[in-house]
Amino acid sequence: MHKFANPTKFMKVANALFPVFCIGFIGLLSAGLYYSLLNSPEDYQQGHTVRIMYVHVPAAYMAVMIYAVMASCAASSLIWKHPLADLIARSSAPIGAAFTFLCLASGAFWGKPMWGTWWVWDARLTSVLIMFFLYMGYIALLNAFDDPQRGVKPAAILALVGVVNLPIIKFSVDWWNTLHQPASIIRLDGPTIDGGMLTPLYIMMGAFTLFYLMLLVIRLRAEFAAARIRTIRILGEG
Amino acid sequence: MSMSRARTRKRARMTVVFAGLAMLGVSVALALLAFEDNIVFFYGPTEIVEQGVEPGQNFRLGGLVKEDSVGLANDGVTNLFIVTDNNANVEVAFKGILPDLFREGQGIVALGALNNEGRFIASEVLAKHDENYMPPEAVEAMKRAGTWKHTQEEGN
Amino acid sequence: MFKAFLSLLKRDLVMGFRQSTDLYMILVFFVIAAALFPLGVGPDPAVLGRIASGVVWVLALLSILLSLDRIFAHDYEDGSLEVMLLGPQPFIILALAKTLAHWLSATLPLVILAPVIAIMLNMDMSGIPALMYGLLLGTPTLSLIGAVGAALALGARRAGLLMALLVLPLFIPVLIFGVTVIDAALNSFSIRPHLLILAALLAAAIPLAPWAAAAAVRQAVTNK
Repeated sequence: MHKFANPTKFMKVANALFPVFCIGFIGLLSAGLYYSLLNSPEDYQQGHTVRIMYVHVPAAYMAVMIYAVMASCAASSLIWKHPLADLIARSSAPIGAAFTFLCLASGAFWGKPMWGTWWVWDARLTSVLIMFFLYMGYIALLNAFDDPQRGVKPAAILALVGVVNLPIIKFSVDWWNTLHQPASIIRLDGPTIDGGMLTPLYIMMGAFTLFYLMLLVIRLRAEFAAARIRTIRILGEG
Repeated sequence: MSMSRARTRKRARMTVVFAGLAMLGVSVALALLAFEDNIVFFYGPTEIVEQGVEPGQNFRLGGLVKEDSVGLANDGVTNLFIVTDNNANVEVAFKGILPDLFREGQGIVALGALNNEGRFIASEVLAKHDENYMPPEAVEAMKRAGTWKHTQEEGN
Repeated sequence: MFKAFLSLLKRDLVMGFRQSTDLYMILVFFVIAAALFPLGVGPDPAVLGRIASGVVWVLALLSILLSLDRIFAHDYEDGSLEVMLLGPQPFIILALAKTLAHWLSATLPLVILAPVIAIMLNMDMSGIPALMYGLLLGTPTLSLIGAVGAALALGARRAGLLMALLVLPLFIPVLIFGVTVIDAALNSFSIRPHLLILAALLAAAIPLAPWAAAAAVRQAVTNK
């Protein structure tokens, strides 16, 4: 068990923070839902449909951030052979895939009334779809080997290969004349979203981030339990 | 002997790294060169008029709906409007339901082909949304103050 | 180093052509699959002509997928890869040589056959040169990306299926620009920017893909 010495300390901190994540998530989500559904202005063109943005944008942000987390963990697992990094990457992948799906689905619900179509194959939508496939490929590769440890490195390499997609997602709307609107929040001349809409958006982003951390801790606990069961089984057989 | 072997190995590795970085530089240069031309999801009216696209060729047309150009054809279901980039105009006919965001002065993208009279017969019309999100009162206030600037009108 | 590159290239080519039935089978797959489209969507020349560019490209992608296991799998099973990893040359160079051998033996025949298929599918003649330029610039990138997938799937259960799952999403950018080259040519727009993007993808893939493939092969061999 000496291999998990450091991760045990990590889990102690994570477990201590877990209630903070939970309470913070519930608090921010309630505030975010109140503002985004009831107490934020309509858009001058989109009307109430703008409220889909309060799910869509945070989901997109989480999808990209979790991929970045996963790829950095993959890199540190390949370079420094850090076992904890593997576990974080492996636990993050399904959460990231779910957020990517949420982003695509909520975007489709917004696109149908606003653009007039559920889906278009423009650069932004396609590159996000590729990211969804990369998450799927990562999970598949991780579980494709008889020895569960054997999939860790190939999956980490795949996660790093997929990093080329992240700048494409971010800048696709600037490089190409896409149907998807250009960046509204992270841009040189400041956000182009009215303050009354920006506040609930930030609150929802915070809520989604805490939700991710919460799920991550739960999944890490499960991973540690699984590792312990494997060890016990091997000891029992030996 | 082993010393020199280690050295050749090191030198080979350096060569590989430099060649790789040089290739990445080439890649960036090529991409920048490509972006000097316009790679587009759609073509604008000026390009269509200048290029002289043949009738029947499918492509996407993008631009602004010209003010006071939206109307219905005699059959009562076909929408007629003009797409402009404030330089050239293309007449568009579309039989179907227009999206919510479709209005005069708004950016749209239409998929279809030119007919023999040079009118664009659209099979699909999509409304392009811009990056501005704000309540209607804020827009009114900005219009009154004269600071309102519609990004679509700067030409896309 | 260059000598090692050339001798491995030669070895892989010779081995490839010795098992040339594999290569024929892939070409036959390409033709049969293409023949399914007129039967499936109907023989209307206008419809076929409109989808021809996409069909040829998609079938080329799928055919390349079928030959990817040739790059590393044999040498992985018989232990040749271990010897190559122990040699003095950087393995990235050897991975590049193996990929080039794959492109020359398994992919170039598809490229040469592609215009015939395009004509069978009633593509307009003005699109054929664009198809060829696009394939010549695009398929090496596909071989390079495919080599990464092939290396990652070494030793996996159902490696062929897994490879398709890993590699097809990464093929999408090449597919998009390969098809837009043809569409631009058919609509008499400039094909230059699309070809430049394909060239940029290739130039980026030449150093990055063998690097990733080499890392994947190394871990596959050490954990065999």
